[in-house]
Amino acid sequence: MTYMESLPLTEPVLLVLLSLAEQPRHGYSILKDVERMSDGRVRLSTGTLYGALRRLLDGAWIERVEEDESPRDRRPYRLTPRGRRNLQLEVERMRHLTKLAAVRIARREA
Amino acid sequence: MLSFYRWLLYLYPLGYRREYKDEMISVFRDAQADARAGSSSARISFRARETWGLLVGAMHEHICIICGSHRSISFTRFDMRPEFRFPRSTVLLMSIIFGGVILAMEKANTIQVKYAAGAGSIWSSLPWFLGFMLLSACAIVVLIWGILLVLGQTGTHRLANIQPCPKRTE
Repeated sequence: MTYMESLPLTEPVLLVLLSLAEQPRHGYSILKDVERMSDGRVRLSTGTLYGALRRLLDGAWIERVEEDESPRDRRPYRLTPRGRRNLQLEVERMRHLTKLAAVRIARREA
Repeated sequence: MLSFYRWLLYLYPLGYRREYKDEMISVFRDAQADARAGSSSARISFRARETWGLLVGAMHEHICIICGSHRSISFTRFDMRPEFRFPRSTVLLMSIIFGGVILAMEKANTIQVKYAAGAGSIWSSLPWFLGFMLLSACAIVVLIWGILLVLGQTGTHRLANIQPCPKRTE
């Protein structure tokens, strides 16, 4: 899957990627971190979370951290270099958009 | 709720269940423990969110299989054309159905508690109860649908105006 095919990211997917950008996390940890990052506004269900994780795994944006001691029901995930690069591109796209919006709104108010 | 959750997981394709079922149940358990510590509205919201998430997720996974490739559906939102919108009445009807399911679960729970105490056999009255509930649900839905039809709010008139989807050019 190319980056352009997946633009723009939905807010839940973006938050999941941001959560994994900091450190590897397992499912429940991602769920809580997304809630914390959005001040409780975005609360993912397990169905939504694992749907997003499955698609991100398929696209090789994230990967499972293979640890011998981690139980099967608490496997951590982390960003791949590809996922990190695409996340940076998406953040850059959003930064450009907000800058453009600020200029346009200021021009209208002037 | 956990048994209901496990039951809903059977809606997912087998391969998906093998891969994620244990993890999803584990995360659900933790999230449920959090929700239990909250208010009753938070608990109801949690149940509704989880139920809806699993229904939509299972449907999405089956669509992916039908499409032949998981990668054919990207991370983006579903692109619904403006002339095809779910009518507002859909939300109302789905809310009523969801309320009916919750009520039925509560009623089943009450019956279970009552008959577990040795008040008698459940089997003689169960078919009548299920039949009554089914007929009641159908009657309510038909009544509401009739009212919406008279008011012209069912949204079915939009189906006649749908144009074939134009092919996208890359």
